Amino acid sequence: MRLFKTILAFAVLLILFNLLNDSQGSIPPLGKFLNPFAGFWQNGEKLDQIDEVLDVKGLRDEVKVVWDERHVPHIFAENTYDVYFAQGFLTARHRLWQMEFQTHVAAGRVSEIIGEKALEFDRMQRRRGLLMAAETTIQRMGEDPETHLIIQAYANGVNTWIESLTPATLPLEYKLLNYEPEVWSTLKTALLLKFMAWDLTGRNSEMDMSIIQATLGEDFVNTFYPENTPRTEPVIPAAKPWRFEAMEPDSIPPAFVPQFVQDLRKGEPDEDNGSNNWAVSGDKTASGYPMLANDPHLGLKLPSIWYEVQLKAPDMNVYGVSMPGAPAVIVGFNKDVAWGVTNAGSDVMDWFEIEFKDDSYTEYLYMDEWIKSDLRVEEIFIRGGDTVLDSFAITRFGPLVYFGENTLENGHPTGLAMRWSAHDPSNEMMAVRNMNLATDRETFYAAIEAFESPGQNFAMIARDGDIAIRHNGKYPLRGRDQGKFVRAGRDTLGEWQDWIPYEQLPAISNPWSGYVSSANQNPVGKKYPYYMGWDYDDYERGSRINDRLGDLTKIKFGDMQDLHMDNFNKQAELMLPFLLKQIDLETLSGDMDVILNDLHSWNYVSDPHEKAAWVYKQWWVRLEKAIWNDELNIFGEIRKIPTRSVTARLLLKKSRLVYYDDINTPEQEGRAEIINRAFKQTIMELTDELGPYGEAWELGRARGTDINHLLSVKGLGRTGLYTGGGQGIVNATKKNHGPSWRMLVELGDRPTAKGIFPGGQSGNPGSPYYDNAVNNWVTGKYYDIHFLDSTDIDLNSKLSLTRLRNYQ
Amino acid sequence: MINILVPLVIVFILQLIFYSWWWIILVPLVLGFFEKDSALKASAGTGLGVFLLWFGMAIYQWKNGGEIIVTRIAEVMGIGSGFVLALATGLVGFLVALVAGYAGFSLRKVLIKEYQIS
Repeated sequence: MRLFKTILAFAVLLILFNLLNDSQGSIPPLGKFLNPFAGFWQNGEKLDQIDEVLDVKGLRDEVKVVWDERHVPHIFAENTYDVYFAQGFLTARHRLWQMEFQTHVAAGRVSEIIGEKALEFDRMQRRRGLLMAAETTIQRMGEDPETHLIIQAYANGVNTWIESLTPATLPLEYKLLNYEPEVWSTLKTALLLKFMAWDLTGRNSEMDMSIIQATLGEDFVNTFYPENTPRTEPVIPAAKPWRFEAMEPDSIPPAFVPQFVQDLRKGEPDEDNGSNNWAVSGDKTASGYPMLANDPHLGLKLPSIWYEVQLKAPDMNVYGVSMPGAPAVIVGFNKDVAWGVTNAGSDVMDWFEIEFKDDSYTEYLYMDEWIKSDLRVEEIFIRGGDTVLDSFAITRFGPLVYFGENTLENGHPTGLAMRWSAHDPSNEMMAVRNMNLATDRETFYAAIEAFESPGQNFAMIARDGDIAIRHNGKYPLRGRDQGKFVRAGRDTLGEWQDWIPYEQLPAISNPWSGYVSSANQNPVGKKYPYYMGWDYDDYERGSRINDRLGDLTKIKFGDMQDLHMDNFNKQAELMLPFLLKQIDLETLSGDMDVILNDLHSWNYVSDPHEKAAWVYKQWWVRLEKAIWNDELNIFGEIRKIPTRSVTARLLLKKSRLVYYDDINTPEQEGRAEIINRAFKQTIMELTDELGPYGEAWELGRARGTDINHLLSVKGLGRTGLYTGGGQGIVNATKKNHGPSWRMLVELGDRPTAKGIFPGGQSGNPGSPYYDNAVNNWVTGKYYDIHFLDSTDIDLNSKLSLTRLRNYQ
Repeated sequence: MINILVPLVIVFILQLIFYSWWWIILVPLVLGFFEKDSALKASAGTGLGVFLLWFGMAIYQWKNGGEIIVTRIAEVMGIGSGFVLALATGLVGFLVALVAGYAGFSLRKVLIKEYQIS
């Protein structure tokens, strides 16, 4: 009996040990997690937790760090190595888990952390060649001694922080997921840059366009998916003459119907990854100095996407936001120049159908010959499972991302290869470093030439008064519409032939209007000789910004702030009066009269309290579906629908159109009928979802904004934020997406600046600096940015000092 | 009282230095083994000692800069308050140490019996 009790006690103990020492599904290992000596209880942080002196192994000299009231580090170093070392050290101190996790996502290594459920994701990341591209890039970066120095210094700083960690000080998420950080390498920085390139250039509609063209015809595509969409005011004014001799692409590839059908849009980045930026000359500002504004729109997450920092070394003093995991300042200013970016949107990713000899995928047909492909073997480690080996072919058209069951009519296997500019070697880190050092427009332009991918519209101002914008990046030379469809990868036709010469890229400086701006719209008008893409953002944001900048004079920061927060819905202004006229009042029921009245009296401003703003948005979406979702339902998928402006033009101009009819009903629907039907459907569905017409229908409540934690752990994000704005609105805030950093800079004798991002400096959910800026971000408030010249600070101010003391 | 204080102090020192949670198994197991008199003293004593340590330490962390993290984790775990979370932490410690203390005590009894027979 005694023996039995003993065995039983040990058995229970063993079970308890296993239950509490290992994760159970999504539940963390509770023994470790609840342990008050090393578990989550140790992740609390106080507001005043700043060390006066820190001994840091690996520095060359002492580094001083001034912390401001928002916990932004202002790093003062005696040499270049130390400034980036300290940046790595301090960024890791605040953001280690985030920066490492993002590199695991980029490299397709999530299965190592969460197990087999991430295998498909990892496989796709590998096949898209992100890791391959990062390896190529790190090699290129290594060839430049200065780049090598800064990424290595940063990595050393990160690793010094990692070495200082104890089980108690490990960031919370490692405890939640039960793993530990690995050594940081320069490859991880390259991976982050490639991930950024993927996030901003990874959308493509080639397969949809090929299918639509094959099914509905060339006219349909040309009419409804034009290169120049209605009402778009290009980034570079369309009237600008282009005084250069343009290169001529060799050939226009023939139409081609792909036999390998694959949903390329699955897992692609958000369609609204974009931004606003503008610069105004001193002639238009109250102070007489040039001003710049920028707000990159990205998926909103906690920890925040950006990390604010000032970097001061003997040859540099720069302030702005950095990407946790990469050195230097990506968007910011120094005393001479300020810059902001928006996504270029030009097409740098094309798809090619490749014919292989057999299912070993080692030879493919090119110029009537079988040529060898390289096989890349990826090792995917799976937590709690066997390692998976995944191999895929690399062709001259890029990695074979999709392949499998499909064969061509001749029995040969086939697949889709992805040609992407980000696969080519480049050194964006050098560009960023030189941007940080730039002193005027010339040196800034010289710097950004190396920023090849992702392509960005760089708006800049200089202290000497220059304002400029450049559609920057490395873009392939192609025939018109060449990248619009999937092409046959079997000969030189359709292949990228060359690159558009850098000096011929669209750019403008000091225009007579006194301002430049961009909002992801088409960079150029029809006169520009090169084809750069067609799938740009619609006209509304760009047009609204230009309207306002055109009107404004004696501009102050407050005007810029108002424009960042501008909720005017140009699309509603264009369409709502017309749509309301079509409503048949006789057939309305319930609250519809009241709602219609609210729509009539709405001023098109999508403020958070506006119910009409949400009703209109939902009505428009249903109307688009009514027009397009029948014809464009091809092979079981709703294919890409035309842009808002194209649909709007049709509705306004064509009272009769075959596409208004729902091909799935016996009746013949007309324009008024679908408009009325969509309206009623909207009201009925919103009533079901939100209850009777009232407070719950306000834009800020019905949609609002949720900033979730990167792992979507409930309780670690900020949800239910009362926001306005939306798609096609300058304040491009959506449910989970929006302005990730709002920055305003004026370059006078000394730069003055304001900024805010929706989160905080710390990545620790237990820190008061984790989400301290969220409420102010929601209401459109900004913080004054402290651009410091020295560490001589008034100790009565809200600034405090930490000395990072070098010790060996 | 001593049966409660000894495990509390030993586990406290070991966890301060070595962090690992399983000290609340190992220490009660050993202490239970050397407890000659009663199973109750071995198990409940170590259980209560660890309970007081974990609960007390959790409360200390909570009240010393841990307000934000505790509120968040309470929400993540669907637990009403920091106090309940600290109590749950203490109870996990109690349960584990209780079983470990009993297992240690029980093992000694078996080994001694075997020894006496042989």
